[in-house]
Amino acid sequence: MDLSRRKFLGVAGTVGGVAALSSCGGFGTSKTAGKSAELTFTTWGTDAELTAFKRAIASFETANAGAKVTLKVAPYAEMFTNIDAQLQSGTAPDVFRVTYSNIGVYAGRKQLLDLSPYFDAAAGARFTDQMWAAVKYDGAPYGVPHHTDTSTILYNKRAFAAAGITSVPDTLESAWTWEEFDQIATRLRGHLPDDRYPFAYNWQGGGITRWLSWLFQADGRLLGKDLKSPAISSDAGRAAVDFTKSFFPRRLVPQNNSVKSPTYASDLFFSETAAMVFAGTFLLPDAVSLAPFEFGATFSPRNKRGGADLGGNPLVATAGTTKPGLAAKFLAFMTQEDTMLDFCVASSLLPTLKSLVGKDLPFKARPDLAKFFVQQASNVQPQDAAQVASPGMDAIKEVLRNQLEQAFIGGQSTDATLAGISDGISRATAR
Amino acid sequence: MSASTSILNRARPGLDPPSEQRRRRRRRTALDTIAGYSFLGPNLVLIGLFLFVPVGWAFGLSFQRTNGFGAGEFVGLDNYARLVGDRIFWQSALNTGLFTLLVVPLSMGLGLGLAVLMNSVLPARGLFRTIIVLPMVISGVATALIATLIFDQSKGVLNKLLGATGLDAVPWQSGGAAAMLSVVLATVWWRVGFNMIIYLAGLQAIEPELYESARLDGAGPWNQFRYITVPMVGPSTFFLLVMNIIYSFHVFDIVYVLTGGGPGYATSVLVTYAYQNGFVTRDQGYAAAIGMVLLVLTLVLTALQWRFSRTRDQVG
Repeated sequence: MDLSRRKFLGVAGTVGGVAALSSCGGFGTSKTAGKSAELTFTTWGTDAELTAFKRAIASFETANAGAKVTLKVAPYAEMFTNIDAQLQSGTAPDVFRVTYSNIGVYAGRKQLLDLSPYFDAAAGARFTDQMWAAVKYDGAPYGVPHHTDTSTILYNKRAFAAAGITSVPDTLESAWTWEEFDQIATRLRGHLPDDRYPFAYNWQGGGITRWLSWLFQADGRLLGKDLKSPAISSDAGRAAVDFTKSFFPRRLVPQNNSVKSPTYASDLFFSETAAMVFAGTFLLPDAVSLAPFEFGATFSPRNKRGGADLGGNPLVATAGTTKPGLAAKFLAFMTQEDTMLDFCVASSLLPTLKSLVGKDLPFKARPDLAKFFVQQASNVQPQDAAQVASPGMDAIKEVLRNQLEQAFIGGQSTDATLAGISDGISRATAR
Repeated sequence: MSASTSILNRARPGLDPPSEQRRRRRRRTALDTIAGYSFLGPNLVLIGLFLFVPVGWAFGLSFQRTNGFGAGEFVGLDNYARLVGDRIFWQSALNTGLFTLLVVPLSMGLGLGLAVLMNSVLPARGLFRTIIVLPMVISGVATALIATLIFDQSKGVLNKLLGATGLDAVPWQSGGAAAMLSVVLATVWWRVGFNMIIYLAGLQAIEPELYESARLDGAGPWNQFRYITVPMVGPSTFFLLVMNIIYSFHVFDIVYVLTGGGPGYATSVLVTYAYQNGFVTRDQGYAAAIGMVLLVLTLVLTALQWRFSRTRDQVG
C-alpha cells in the first residue's frame, strides 16, 4: 500500500479527531462546579409539569439575581438508571426529582444532602405530617415533599347505570368497606359481558407499592418499626393477599391486570374493558381526552381503617453538590405556597403544604373530582409513608412484584406468598 | 516490489541495487504497518474503551457485593455460588435456550424461503422486499410497542380477529406459553428481513449454469433447492447462525417492553434478569455474575460453530 506523509497525517488527524469528539460528545461533567450561582436540576415530567417547572425556575432566577438553574429532562423509564450512573461517576445534577419510595434508597447510601441545617422543625411543620415523615431518613430530612398524589376510583357511569348502581360514596367516612366493594364488583360481573370486567387495579410498572393500600386498610404493616424486619406475616397480611388474589379467579379484574402486565390499568378503563379503575390524580387530563364515556369518582375502599398509596414526588439535593446552600434555597422556593399551588393546579397533582390542603384546587381537568383525591390523600398515615420510604424499598418492590404475580396468576398459596415476601424482605434488607 | 521499480534501480549508477531494495522494502513495510495501525487505531480504541474495559470491569464486579455506590465488598465466588441455587436464574437460562431454539431456525428458515421467492421471477418483488426488510430499520423497542398493540389480551388486534371468527381469545399476557410465543413471533417478524437480505446476497452469487445443468439432469425444484441452493448458501447460513444465536442470547428490548419477563417468570431471559438485578434491585455484583455466565455461554457456542463451520465455509 502506498502512503504519503500527507495521507498519514490525514489518518492521524482523523484518529485525533475521533478522540477529541468523544471527549465532548456527552461525556463531560454535568456539574456546574466552577459557577457558584448555577444549579443543574434533572427531572422527568409531562408537558404540563415541565412547563410549570420552567415557570418556577424563571421565578427563582428573577428572585435571586445571578442564579441560574439548568433544567435537564430524562424519560421516567431511564431517570434512575441515569441518576445512578451519574452519582457513581460523580457527574450527578445538584438537584433531582425522586419518588417517595426512592428517598430512603438514596439517603441510606449517603447520596443525598442532609437538609437539617436548612429546614428546621418550623420549616418542616409547614408540610403535612405524613409528607414530612416521607422525606425523612433516620430522623433527618433528605428532601422536600414537592407534591403528592394518590389513587381513588374512577367509574364508568354508563356501566354502573346498566348494573343498577345509582349512587357511590361521596365522603371519605362513607367509603365502601371491602365487603361493599366486593358486592359492587360482583354485581357488575353479573351484568357485564364476558370480555368486560368490573375493575382494574393500577399496580403495574412502578406501581407495585399501591398494593400496600390493601395491607394498610387491613391495618397491617409490611415492615417492622425498625423498617428492616418483615411484618407482613399477620392476619392483616393474610387478609390483604387473600382478598386481592381472589379478584383473578372470580374474574373481577382482567387476567392481564396482574402486576407484571405491560398493559396499564388506565388503558383497560379507557377501552371500556374495565368499568372501574384505581387511578391517580395525574390521570385526570388523560381520562378527559381518552375516555369516550362519562365518568365519576369515588373513594378507595376501607377495611379496619382507610388507606391510600403514597404517590407524588419530593425534590432532593445530591450529597456531592458544591452549592448546598443554593440547592437548599431552590428547594425552599419550589415548595413555597404560590409555586406549589401553580405546579399542582397545572399538573393535576396534590399539594403537600398544610396551608393548601384544605383549599379548592382549580384543576384544569375535572376540578369537580379534586376533592376525592385530596380527601383520599389524608388517609396516608405517617407510619405507612415511613415504610414506603424505607431504604431497602428498591429490592423489596421487586420481591413484592414477583411474589404477588405468583399469587395472582401463578396459583401460589397465600401462606407461600407471605413466606416468600418475608424471606425476600429479610434478604433484601440484609444486603 | 514491482518489476518496473527494480529496472529503475538498476539503471541508476553508483548505488548498490540489492541494499537499496532492502532499505526501500523495509521502509515500505514500516509505512504499511503504520498505515494499518492508523486505520485500526480508532476501532481498537473504541473497542477497548467500550467493550474490553466494561467487560473487565464487570468481571471484577462479579466478585463483589455492591449496590453501585461506594466501594464494593469482595465476596470471592459467592455471587457465582448464588447462581447455582437461584431458581429464577435457571428458569431464565432455560427460557433463553428455548427462545434461541425457536427463533433461530424460524427466522433463518423463513429468511431463506423468502429469499428464494424474492430471487425468482415474482411481480413487484422490489415492493415485497421492501415490506419484508422494513422491520429491520425499526428499533427493537418500537417493534415491541407495535407488538403490544397486536398481542394485547383485552383489546389487541389478534384477539379481536380471533373473536370475530368465533375462536377463543389467547391469553397472550397471562398465559406463560402464549406469552413466550408472542415474544418469538414478534422477534421473528423483526429478524426475518435481515436473514432474507443475507440469503438473497448468497443466492445471487450462485451461477445459474448450476441450476441449468441440474435441470438437464432431470432435477426438480425440490432437488435443486436441496442439492444446490442449500449447500451453496452455506457461508451465509454460517454467518446467520452465529449472528442469530448471539442475538438470541442477548435479547432484551422486545422481552422488556412486550412482557416485562412475565407472566410470572415465563418470559424472563438472562439479560432481563441481569437488568432486574443490576438496575432495579441494584445488586450489581450478582448482575455482573449473570453477565459473565452469558459471555462465557456465547463464546463457547460461537467457538463451537466456528469449528463446525470450517467445512461449510469451503462449500460455498
